[in-house]
Amino acid sequence: MARFTEKQYRNQLSLAMVAYMAAMLLIWPLSRTAASVPLKVVLAVVPVLPMLFVIGLMARRIGASDEFEQRVHLLALGAATALLGALSLVGGFLDAAGVLALRGSILIWVFPVTMLGYGAARWWLLVRHYGGSAGCEGSSPGWQLFLLGVLVLMVLGVAWWHGRLDAFQTGLLFGLAPGVLLLLGVLLWRRLRRAADKD
Amino acid sequence: MKNQVRELRGDRGWSQADLAERLDVSRQTINAIETGKYDPSLPLAFKIARLFGQSIETIFEPD
Repeated sequence: MARFTEKQYRNQLSLAMVAYMAAMLLIWPLSRTAASVPLKVVLAVVPVLPMLFVIGLMARRIGASDEFEQRVHLLALGAATALLGALSLVGGFLDAAGVLALRGSILIWVFPVTMLGYGAARWWLLVRHYGGSAGCEGSSPGWQLFLLGVLVLMVLGVAWWHGRLDAFQTGLLFGLAPGVLLLLGVLLWRRLRRAADKD
Repeated sequence: MKNQVRELRGDRGWSQADLAERLDVSRQTINAIETGKYDPSLPLAFKIARLFGQSIETIFEPD
C-alpha cells in the first residue's frame, strides 16, 4: 500500500475545511428554524461530519508516520490535551464560582483549541527542541492554494447570496480579504523561493 | 548518543533526503538522529547499520 503522504494529508484536509465552512454557512443556520426536532438534530450536526473526517485523517497521518514523527505527534497531542484540561478546569471553577457565565456552546471550542495547542507544541518540538523544520516535505504547487481560495470564495459567495452573512460579517470578510491574499502571496513566494534554492 | 551517521552519509555523497528515502523515514528523522537529538529504535538502528555495512556499535556510541 502506498504511504499516506503529507501532500495527500494537506489536500484532503483543505477540502474537508472547505466542506466544514460550507456546512456552517449554508446548512447549520437552517437548524435554528427547522420545524421538527429530528430535523433540527440532523442539520445541527452536519458540520461535525467533515470534522470527523479530519480526525480520521489525523489518525491516518500519525499511523503512517515513522517512529520519530509519531513521537512528535503524540507528545504534541499530549501537551495539547494538558493545555485543554487546564483551561477547562479554570473555566469550570470560574463558572462554578459565578465569575464567568459559560454556555454549553463553549464546547464547540474544544476541538479548535486542541488543534491549536497541538500545532504550537509540534512546532516547538520540531524547531526548538529537535532543531529541525516544521515545514511539510514535498510542498504542493501554488495552483492548489489558488483552487482552495476559489472554493472558499465560492462558498462565501453562495452564503452571501442566500443572505447568510449579515452586514457585519460581510464587512469583516471584505476587510480580512486583503490580509489573507497577502498571506497567501507570501506563502507562495516562499515556496517558489525554496524550489528555486533546491534547483 | 553520539553517532557517525552524518559522516557515513557524507562519504557516500548522499543528502539527508537520499538517506531518508533509503531508510523509509522522513528527512526530519535523519536530521534529529544526526544532531544527536533523537536515538533511533533498535530496528531502525539495525537498518542503518545494514545500509552502511557496519555494526551498530561502530556507528552509535553512548555519551
